[in-house]
Amino acid sequence: MSKKIYEIVDHLPTGGLTIRALKTLDVFIPGQWNNLVGFDNTIKTVTGETDEAMVQTIGERAIALFNDKRQGYQSALWLYETVDSASGLLGAAALANRIGQDTFLGFLKNLTPKPEKAQTIDLVVKLVTEVVAFCKISGIPGDSLGDFLAALGDYSNESLMRMTALVSFDGIIPLGADFSTRALNMIKGMGPSDLDNNPTFKGVRDEIPGDDSGGKLAFMTESFESTKGWMDNLVADKGITQSGLIENLGGFIEGSKSKLDYLGAFLDVSVKYYEHTGIQTLARRLVERAVAEI
Amino acid sequence: MFQNGWLKRLAPLLICLVLLVTSCASAPSKYDQVQKDTTGFRAPAAVAKKAEKGGTFNQFFPGDQGEYNVIPYQEKKGFAEYKLQKGDKTLAMLTINDTTSLPTAAAKYNDATEKVVGYPSVDQGTTATGILVNGRYQVKVLSRDPSFTKEDRVSWLQKFDLKGLAQLKGAPVAATASPKAASAPKAVTQPLTPAPNSATAPTTTKPAPKVGFKLPRLELPNLSPTLQPAS
Repeated sequence: MSKKIYEIVDHLPTGGLTIRALKTLDVFIPGQWNNLVGFDNTIKTVTGETDEAMVQTIGERAIALFNDKRQGYQSALWLYETVDSASGLLGAAALANRIGQDTFLGFLKNLTPKPEKAQTIDLVVKLVTEVVAFCKISGIPGDSLGDFLAALGDYSNESLMRMTALVSFDGIIPLGADFSTRALNMIKGMGPSDLDNNPTFKGVRDEIPGDDSGGKLAFMTESFESTKGWMDNLVADKGITQSGLIENLGGFIEGSKSKLDYLGAFLDVSVKYYEHTGIQTLARRLVERAVAEI
Repeated sequence: MFQNGWLKRLAPLLICLVLLVTSCASAPSKYDQVQKDTTGFRAPAAVAKKAEKGGTFNQFFPGDQGEYNVIPYQEKKGFAEYKLQKGDKTLAMLTINDTTSLPTAAAKYNDATEKVVGYPSVDQGTTATGILVNGRYQVKVLSRDPSFTKEDRVSWLQKFDLKGLAQLKGAPVAATASPKAASAPKAVTQPLTPAPNSATAPTTTKPAPKVGFKLPRLELPNLSPTLQPAS
């Protein structure tokens, strides 16, 4: 049975670890992300229309567009969902259950920090996933990095939040302030076999441009190198620091400040920010298109 | 007594069971019908095969004007959209779409009582004003800020290269197009130079035609037909 986009958007959470973690980033991009959830609510908020008949018409067109596989929305959704679940080590539910009953240190023993190489591949794969998924949603050719970079300069709302979270949770926290340089150097030293053993890469490999793992690695390296400047600017402009991030996250993840290695792993398994904000971006673009086409 | 005690113990279990069973079935939604109509093997495509490529529309959008920036936003088959910004604030969305895919969108102009530059014009809801060019191409301006009024929308509609768009000869599709019309032979598009005689239109400023931001296009090969999301 096909997925129902209206139910997916209706079921987006308003609380939980993902939302709390994303809200700690508000301070860096104030006013950009307000966790827009609910299908009709998204239509009303994005378009400013409140008439129920109009909302229904917009919603029906958005659903029709989503359900037409050739439009690329379904594979974008799949990408956002898959890259998040593939990068996790443990079931989020099992972990979430322990929180509240136990201390942070209590469940740390079940987690192993990721080696730097795996963390780097995670970061780069997620970035490339954004390139491919965003291009599918917006209609930019998926291997046209120049067009993506132009669009990146205009990122706002949940898309900007997703990139801020990528840089923070998958870059600065596990790899440090010079994460982009370290990751770029590391990926340049890798071969196709390094990718083939990585679960995050394996999850989405078929959607990454390139004929084989070597070609895909080249595209990933090029994508990361092209966007490195944008990521570094974001960090500098918004004043994102490792200590600032940890301070904010420490507010709800007890004992995390002294266990940095594990904090990255913890975020990896329990925070599904790509899926959450990806669905929000998808819904917004669908609604924008639907209201124009009807 | 004994029986009563069992009932008392069983009752919460039964209630839980009933709740569990009923919660498994998702609540009916006002969108269930359209979901049904647009999925499955016989579902119609949301976008007609003969619809114009979205990139074709880029050149008809207005360019930046003074402190107003016109920024590319989406480009899908049969559809292109730009954001109108002043500083960091988004004032409106500017769109062109090919109504071949959705004949009802064109049909609403049959009852239009207003015109903009000679084209039938319709207001939709409280934020959108559209016109229909050639009985096929819908041009819309949608307010995204309360300060952007209907007058602003009409003014920006006139900044599109409407004469150029009118020269676009797609497949002949009547306003009340039948599915047959949508599968008409492939359109031959004329050279898309901006119309030199567009001065006849009462536009105040004639912006340079939009060059478009997606050149050169490199089409991504379809990687694999098996890559659809699991259903």
